[in-house]
Amino acid sequence: MLAPEQMSRLLIAGTKEQMGPVIGELYRHRLFHIEDFVGQEEYAGFRLGMPLDGATEASVDLLNIRAAETAFGIASDGVPAARRISAAELRRQLETELPAIDAQADELVSRRTRLETRLRDLEARIAELEPFTAVPIPMEHYRGYNTLAVFAGHVPADVAIEAPHERAFSGDKKGGFLAVFTPLSHRDEVERQLQDAGFSPVQIPDETGTAVDAIGRYSAERTSITTEMEGIERQLEGLREIHASFLLAADELLTAEVEQAEAPLRFAVTDQAFVAEGWVPTVDVSSIASSLERVTDGRVHVEELPIDFEHDAVPTEFQNPSFAHPAEMFMDVYSRPNYREIDPTLLVSIVFPVFFGLIVGDVGYGAVLLAIAFIGRRYLRTEGWKLFLDNLRNASISSIFFGLLFGEIFGFALPWRPVIFSRHLNIGGEAHGHGPDAASLLIVSVWIGILYITLGRIISLINHSRMDHGSHRTKAMLAQTGWIAFMWGLLIVIWSMFPIPWMIDLTTIGNTVPLIGLRPFGVVGVVMIIYGLVAIALENPFEIVEAPTVISHVLSFARLVAVGLSSVAIAMVVNFIALGMMIEPGLENLTPVGIVLIVAGIVVLLLGHTLNTALAVLGGGLHSIRLHYVEFFTKFYKGGGRKYNPFGMKRLYTSEE
Amino acid sequence: MVDVTNAVMTVEMIQASQAGLKAVGAGLAVGLTGIGTGIAEMSIGAAAVGATAENRDLFGLSLIFTVIPETIVIFGLVVAMLLLFS
Repeated sequence: MLAPEQMSRLLIAGTKEQMGPVIGELYRHRLFHIEDFVGQEEYAGFRLGMPLDGATEASVDLLNIRAAETAFGIASDGVPAARRISAAELRRQLETELPAIDAQADELVSRRTRLETRLRDLEARIAELEPFTAVPIPMEHYRGYNTLAVFAGHVPADVAIEAPHERAFSGDKKGGFLAVFTPLSHRDEVERQLQDAGFSPVQIPDETGTAVDAIGRYSAERTSITTEMEGIERQLEGLREIHASFLLAADELLTAEVEQAEAPLRFAVTDQAFVAEGWVPTVDVSSIASSLERVTDGRVHVEELPIDFEHDAVPTEFQNPSFAHPAEMFMDVYSRPNYREIDPTLLVSIVFPVFFGLIVGDVGYGAVLLAIAFIGRRYLRTEGWKLFLDNLRNASISSIFFGLLFGEIFGFALPWRPVIFSRHLNIGGEAHGHGPDAASLLIVSVWIGILYITLGRIISLINHSRMDHGSHRTKAMLAQTGWIAFMWGLLIVIWSMFPIPWMIDLTTIGNTVPLIGLRPFGVVGVVMIIYGLVAIALENPFEIVEAPTVISHVLSFARLVAVGLSSVAIAMVVNFIALGMMIEPGLENLTPVGIVLIVAGIVVLLLGHTLNTALAVLGGGLHSIRLHYVEFFTKFYKGGGRKYNPFGMKRLYTSEE
Repeated sequence: MVDVTNAVMTVEMIQASQAGLKAVGAGLAVGLTGIGTGIAEMSIGAAAVGATAENRDLFGLSLIFTVIPETIVIFGLVVAMLLLFS
């Protein structure tokens, strides 16, 4: 808890004959994070290993399978199959079925490609013929002359040509199509006149018969090709249904084979031996060691190496109770924790839903979001969506809880007085009571900010004491106490000067100290502020410019109330408008206009609350997580940890041999 | 013409105009900070969309970056609430 999984550094060495079984066993366990061999100094005389036998064949088969998958449009959705295929059965099927499937896919795809090419060709021809449909001259009459020059193209308006010629024009004032036949001797002259008139020539297609007839012919062919292509698509669709599970399973099996066969590329080897280094969770070291010895009859050397934190980047794996797993998503979006620092996932998993609940705080919206989370879980089953929806579920449960406390349902008041603070606004003059306790709520949110930021600084203190050395460690730790003293000193000075509800009142204690003009606690506060600034400056004088962020970061927590109140306001405005439309003119005397107004009111109600639900997720979610990222994490969190990525595969479609 | 010099301000009128000015102040607080936030988010948003287009994984992070200037309008909202409700 609050720390990543403890890792051990393992060294595995053996003769080359043992390499295959060792790799297979490591792959099966899926616990060994391989540290790539990159020619480290201590490995003088070693070189990179070569892939195991069978790597090439497996790769070729895999390539064929992937080609067929692309042809049929099969892609893994990351959801485990209902029935897993055993590896032995799959291997048998691979030999008998794969060539046939490949041939089928090849044949269909190449037919489709041929048809597509022909289709493009036809489209081009039809486009070329299109202008000539305006003039009823057979296409063969446009060419094959020894003494005539032919021009065909578009003109902005009919052109008068001063030279002997025959013409055909079709069009109106906006322009049209012009074909001109003129003796070769006048060719240049006509061409110049046409150019002056803005003539743009088109290519004369090599066709016979009228353009309309030719287009009719090509259109018929296009239709038949489209039908044929639809047939091929249907066939591919059918084949996808039949082969999807087999191909996905085969893909998985061969991917596993190729990955294992290529593992030696990451090991250090000599002519006779190999050495693999990597990381294993400390709790699993003994089980890995004993199973490696079992598969090799004890002819392997497994040793736990000491960890040198200066040089080794230890991979980080989360270690959290199950309810905190969804919050790991937020951590990975920001940055994986460093192996040695405090992992705040547990805190985020508790505080994020609380913040979300404080912002949304409505039974109705909470229930809608909870339903979305549960229904979504049924349809969106990939790992990312699962984490997201679980976060949404936790957040919406918290919203319902705070909704009960605030006494809100879709912006209406629940039939009891708000248990904690009222957020009901006086919109439309209908509400009772004295409006929202905005000031009290703001002060509570500031308290949350003060405490949460202090917690962040304390965590930073612990991190520095764990991770740093020497005088730097002392200075960094002092600076953290300095930040805490600065913030609380400021608070004490304020408390000693102004009485603030919901905060500590120090204005009544003691009399003003002469010469300084502050009460005794004010003096204490000033001393704390000075100590804080000195301690911060000792570590890094430039940090002093960051001092005002103490105020802005604490006040930033006011968004918990501000965003929440604005969401309540939207809900109440929607209710006010919609109910106003429905009840007053509508229900009083049922006229056709009244019924229209009732329907419009219902539409406004639904649209408004849908919009506000979406805004609640966006506002509540983004602001809650932002308070963590910007205001909380910047106090202590380093991140930049390496993701623990063990050698092996999470099997979805095949079972172990 | 209305004779302005002889107009008498009653207590109710003064209270009403004070309430009105409070509301104007609250509106200005939210509106102006909203514009400020918008200007700040403009360039962040453009860069964030660009980054997301290049690498889909950056979506979460760029969304967070985009809402950072939201603090400005939140402060405006807080000031407005203090004006209106306290």
